[in-house]
Amino acid sequence: MAGSVSPDPAAAGGELPSVERVTDLPARSRGVIGLLEENCTVCMLCARECPDWCIYIDSHKEQVPAAAGAPAGQPAAVPGQGRPRVRNVLDRFAIDFSLCMYCGICVEVCPYDALFWSQEFAYPATDIADLTHERDRLREWMWTVPPPPAHDPGAPPPKEALVAGTLRGRSARPAEGRGGPA
Amino acid sequence: MTPAEIVAEVARRLPGGRCEAEDKTVTVDVPSQDWLAALTFARDVAGCDFFDWLTAVDEQGSGFAVVAHLYSIEGGSHLFTRTLVPRDRPVLASATGVFRGAGWAERETHEMFGVIFEGHPQPAPLLLPDGFEGHPLRKDFALAARAAREWPGGKEPGEREPSARSRRRLPPPGVPEGWRDR
Amino acid sequence: MDHRAAVTGAAAAAGTGAPGPAGVPGRELIVLAAGREMVLHVFDAGLACCAVEVAAALRGCPAPAPVDDDGRAEGPAHEPAAALHVLVVAGTVTDKLAPLVLRAYRDLPEPRRVVSFGACSNSGGPYWDSYCVTKGVDQLIPVDVYIPGCPPRPEALLPGLRSLLAGPPRPGEGPPGPGAGQP
Repeated sequence: MAGSVSPDPAAAGGELPSVERVTDLPARSRGVIGLLEENCTVCMLCARECPDWCIYIDSHKEQVPAAAGAPAGQPAAVPGQGRPRVRNVLDRFAIDFSLCMYCGICVEVCPYDALFWSQEFAYPATDIADLTHERDRLREWMWTVPPPPAHDPGAPPPKEALVAGTLRGRSARPAEGRGGPA
Repeated sequence: MTPAEIVAEVARRLPGGRCEAEDKTVTVDVPSQDWLAALTFARDVAGCDFFDWLTAVDEQGSGFAVVAHLYSIEGGSHLFTRTLVPRDRPVLASATGVFRGAGWAERETHEMFGVIFEGHPQPAPLLLPDGFEGHPLRKDFALAARAAREWPGGKEPGEREPSARSRRRLPPPGVPEGWRDR
Repeated sequence: MDHRAAVTGAAAAAGTGAPGPAGVPGRELIVLAAGREMVLHVFDAGLACCAVEVAAALRGCPAPAPVDDDGRAEGPAHEPAAALHVLVVAGTVTDKLAPLVLRAYRDLPEPRRVVSFGACSNSGGPYWDSYCVTKGVDQLIPVDVYIPGCPPRPEALLPGLRSLLAGPPRPGEGPPGPGAGQP
């Protein structure tokens, strides 16, 4: 597929370009937001932090029985789970893209990496209600999420690598103040 | 004129004024009756031939602070002239006699804050539509839209509707405390 | 430039079938969609940042006929088979400017469509809570296609324009020209 949008060579001048899929978009281009529901714990941080108030979340709580008390044929959430626990179940997660300003605060603030940027930009609608994407449509966008781009040359090292380096250093050093050979 | 020279001249010519200088910026606070004298001083003595902007700050209890930013193109120094007008009688002489460019800035400041500029040649609204009531940039003019609309982030995790049990009793962002219950 | 003259002058120019006078927004595009040839007279009501993206999109489409420095078409006149006038509202519609947008729509000759480009003209966008912003241009005029984005990429205008042509012609608008009747 051709890189940037170009007119159909067989067409007369003035044609709308027939190649609409742009493939040379810069890394981290913001087109639409996808939701990976499995990661979402319904912490509500994205809905709270959205400056436009365009994320709508409904949920309810469910109790997950302990392993010992689980009815036959129904596994506990975690094998060996000792006591019943309560978890949040997502009923509705919608993003209203007619309001969204693509700031990315929701993607940044999600502690569980449930929201991802996708580069898809061609989703016009004839009815403005169709610009509010519900869970199923947000999941469809997940299949268009590109792999994370490499760090730019000269970028500071990622925090995860720094933390891992510190931990390794701490366990290698002998404990101080405990006496004995240093 | 250097900032130090400006400070010296202010002490000499504007006895009612207080002056602060920082790097290339001088701020002169004058009582409202000396407003035109301060602007004329800026233009004629301090060499500030460029009028950048004029606006107001709602200082609530003490009134409205009207600030003008002036710049000397040759000297490269900035001058802020500032005065305070009382809230119950926010009247100030118009700067259009000294700087013609203050015309639109004063029209905007008038419709946004309600400050009346005496002697303005065309005191008509600039940006607000006809029939708009109130002065939007005053601190007591709350954005009704945020108070009227339900904040999607007001629900706790596991709720379908915000309830009295919500720990989050803070008003939504952008809504002053207590405004929602009116 | 007097904004009012730009708005009404361009709409009138769009109606004559000629490209608008130089410096006034208004663009002709010939579209081949589903075997039908249609001409879109696109008038870009560029009100804020989205205007830059629409201008980039329209500039990326070559003109239907060579034009001289004054914007007049050179060579034999091109007789369009069928023409659709499209008003692309791009940018925040403030309450102060709303009457002018309404006037641009009323001056647009039939057959006409409206495309709302960007979050601000879709619904007010990030300024939905403002004291002086119209929350979506569909509060003033009927909108046929909404293009989401803040701002949408220039390339996002094209799928939106295509979806304008996707439906059947409306009553009273007549068949679209060569290839009419074919799916």
